[in-house]
Amino acid sequence: MEFEFLVDGVSKKVTVEEKKGLFQIKQGDIEFEADVRRLSDNELTLVVGGRAHEVLIARDKDRKIVFVGGREYVLREPGEAAGRSWTDDHKGPGGGLKIKAPMPGKVIKVLVAEGEAVRKNQTLIIVEAMKMENEIKSSLDGSVKKIHVAAGELVDPERLLLELEAK
Amino acid sequence: MKMFKKILIANRGEIAVRIIRACREMGISPVAVYSEADRAALHVALADEAVAIGPAPAVESYLDMDRIVRAVRETGAEAVHPGYGFLAENADFARCLEKEGIVFIGPRSEALELVGDKVRARQTMEKAGIPIIPGMKSVPSDAGEYIKAARALGFPVIVKASAGGGGKGMRVVTEEKGLGPALEAGRREAKSAFGDESVYLERYIEEPRHIEFQVLADNSGRTVHLFERECSIQRRHQKIVEETPSPALDDALRLKMGETAVKAMRAAGYNNAGTVEFLLDKDRNFYFLEVNARLQVEHPVTELVTGVDLVRRQILVAAGEPLALKQGDLRQRGHAIECRIYAEDPAANFLPSPGRILFLREPKGPGLRLDSGIYGGWDVPIYYDPILAKLVVWAENRELACRRMAAALDGFAVLGIHTTIDFLKDVIRHPEFRAGRTNTAFIPKYFDGWTRPPGEEGELPLALAAAAIDEMGRRTRPKGRPRAKEETAGPWQTLGRWRMGGAD
Repeated sequence: MEFEFLVDGVSKKVTVEEKKGLFQIKQGDIEFEADVRRLSDNELTLVVGGRAHEVLIARDKDRKIVFVGGREYVLREPGEAAGRSWTDDHKGPGGGLKIKAPMPGKVIKVLVAEGEAVRKNQTLIIVEAMKMENEIKSSLDGSVKKIHVAAGELVDPERLLLELEAK
Repeated sequence: MKMFKKILIANRGEIAVRIIRACREMGISPVAVYSEADRAALHVALADEAVAIGPAPAVESYLDMDRIVRAVRETGAEAVHPGYGFLAENADFARCLEKEGIVFIGPRSEALELVGDKVRARQTMEKAGIPIIPGMKSVPSDAGEYIKAARALGFPVIVKASAGGGGKGMRVVTEEKGLGPALEAGRREAKSAFGDESVYLERYIEEPRHIEFQVLADNSGRTVHLFERECSIQRRHQKIVEETPSPALDDALRLKMGETAVKAMRAAGYNNAGTVEFLLDKDRNFYFLEVNARLQVEHPVTELVTGVDLVRRQILVAAGEPLALKQGDLRQRGHAIECRIYAEDPAANFLPSPGRILFLREPKGPGLRLDSGIYGGWDVPIYYDPILAKLVVWAENRELACRRMAAALDGFAVLGIHTTIDFLKDVIRHPEFRAGRTNTAFIPKYFDGWTRPPGEEGELPLALAAAAIDEMGRRTRPKGRPRAKEETAGPWQTLGRWRMGGAD
C-alpha cells in the first residue's frame, strides 16, 4: 500500500507491505523491515535491524503528528488547500492579499476601514492571546478590500481577517 | 495554633495543582475556583470543591475580588492561597480578606503595599543600607528632571514603571534623543498594565545575572533565607530556565547576599514567603532590584535543594505557627534546574500557541519533578498566561543536572500545540550555558532567529512508516470492533483522502 504525506509542503511517498507480521517499508531509496507493536492508540514501537524506536502518534483533522527520537514531524494530508501552513499567506513572498490570524485569539482592535489605503508594515489588526498582543501588519502598499472580523471576536488560526489589494 | 480545615485556591493551572497537593498532604480540604474557560481544567478535577466564578476573561473571574470572596464565604474556607499572578500581590485584595476575617496566605497588606511600589521600596531599602541600582529616588513632577537625572546617571539608562513588574513599561535608552519617546512609550504601557503611568529612571546594568534569594518569615519577624536561585535565562524579560545554586556565587558572596536579603525583608516588615531579587554585574557587585511578594513560579528548585516544602511553610506561617527553621540548619544539597514549558512557538518570536493537546507524554525517571496543569485532550485556553508545566530536575551537581534535564526534555512530548520544549533542549545543551556563563542577554545573544533543528537522518522515513502503518491499521480494522472515543469523532477513518497508489 502506498501513502503520500506532505512534510513542510514537500510530498513524501511511502510504501508499506505486511508479511508474516513484519512490515516491509520503502521510502525513496530507503528500504527496511520493521517489527511493529502497538502499545496503545498513540504509541508504537518499531524494531529495525535490532534498533528499537518508540514512536508517538497524534491525529488531527488534516495532519498526523509523529514524535520519534525527541522530534516532532508534522505529516499533512495531500490535497488542494491542505498542507499550506496558515502563516504562509502573510509571510510568503507571493501571498499577501489574504491576511489570516497567526494564532487563535481575540480580536482586540481593527485599526483600518474598508477602502482605506495602507502602507507596508502598517498595523491593521491587533489579536490577543495569552496576555500577549500581536500586531498584524500589512505585507504590502495598497488598500483594504474587505474586513472579515470585528473587535471582540474570537478567531481560529486559519481564520481570514481581512483582504488587501496591491497598489 | 489552629490549622485550617479548608483553603480556597484563587488561581488556576499548574500552581493551583501544586497548592492542592500541599493541602491534601496537610489534611486540609482544597477548594478550586474556575472561569467558564476552565471547567475542564486539571485543578478543578483535583480539588474537593470547585466554584464557578465567572466568564473566561480574567478580569471577570480570577481577578474579580468580590466573586472570590463570595466563593470563600459559600464554601466556608478559612484561608485563601493566591498562588502567583492574578491577585497574589494585590494589597487591596489582602486588605479585603483581612476585613472579612479570612486569612490571606501571603504577606500582610502593609508589607505588600510597600514592596509593590517600586519607588517606595527603593527608598526603604536605601535607608536600610541595602545597595540599590543608581537612579531616581522619586517620580518627578517636571519632565526636565528626567533629562537631568539621565545625564547624571550616564547612558544607557532604563525607564521603569513605578508599579512595574514582568518587563511591562520597561525601555532601555542608549542616547539622549531616545529619552522622550521611551518615556512616552513606558508611560503608555505602564498605564495600560497597572493603571498607573508613573515611571522613573535607573542606570542600565549591562548583561547582569539575575539572582534572587528565597526568604521565609513568620508573623513575629523570625526570618531566614533559603539561598539563591539564578534566573538569568529570560525571553522578553520573563524567566524560562532557573537553577540553584548559581554558578556565579561563592560562599562569601552567597553569605553576604543572603544576609542582605534577610535585612531587606526585615526593613519591609515582611512576613510569609517572599523573594528578594538582585542584579549581579560583571564585577560581582549586587544591587537590590525588587521584592516578589508571593510564591515564585521557580520555587521548586529551592525545595529540591533545601528539602523545605515552601507551600507547606506558607500555610503554617499563615496559620500563626512560629518558624521552626533556623538559618544555621539550612544547607544546599546538590543542584536543581527548572525549565518552563510554555504554549508558545519559539521559532516564531514566542507567538502564543493555545489549542488542543492531542497527546501528552510526560517524562519519568529518577530525580525528576513535573509541576503540570495539563493533560492529553485538554484545550489550552487563549485567555491566560501560556505556562503549561515546569520540568524540574535534581542531581548531585550542575553537570549531572544538565544531562538529566536534557534527557528529560527529550522524553517530553506535547503533541498538537507548539511549546518551548525543543528550544529548551538547545538552551540546556548550549556550551555557554554548560559553562555556567549565563546573563540576561543570553537568549537575545545566542538564540535570536532560532529555528527547530532538523531531526536525525533516518528518522523521517521512520516517522513516515509509522504514520503509514497507523493509517493502514485504521483502514483495515474489522467492522464492529469497538473504537476508542476519539476515533469515532475523527474524520480519519471515513475521509480516506490519502492518495493511494501501487498495487493494493
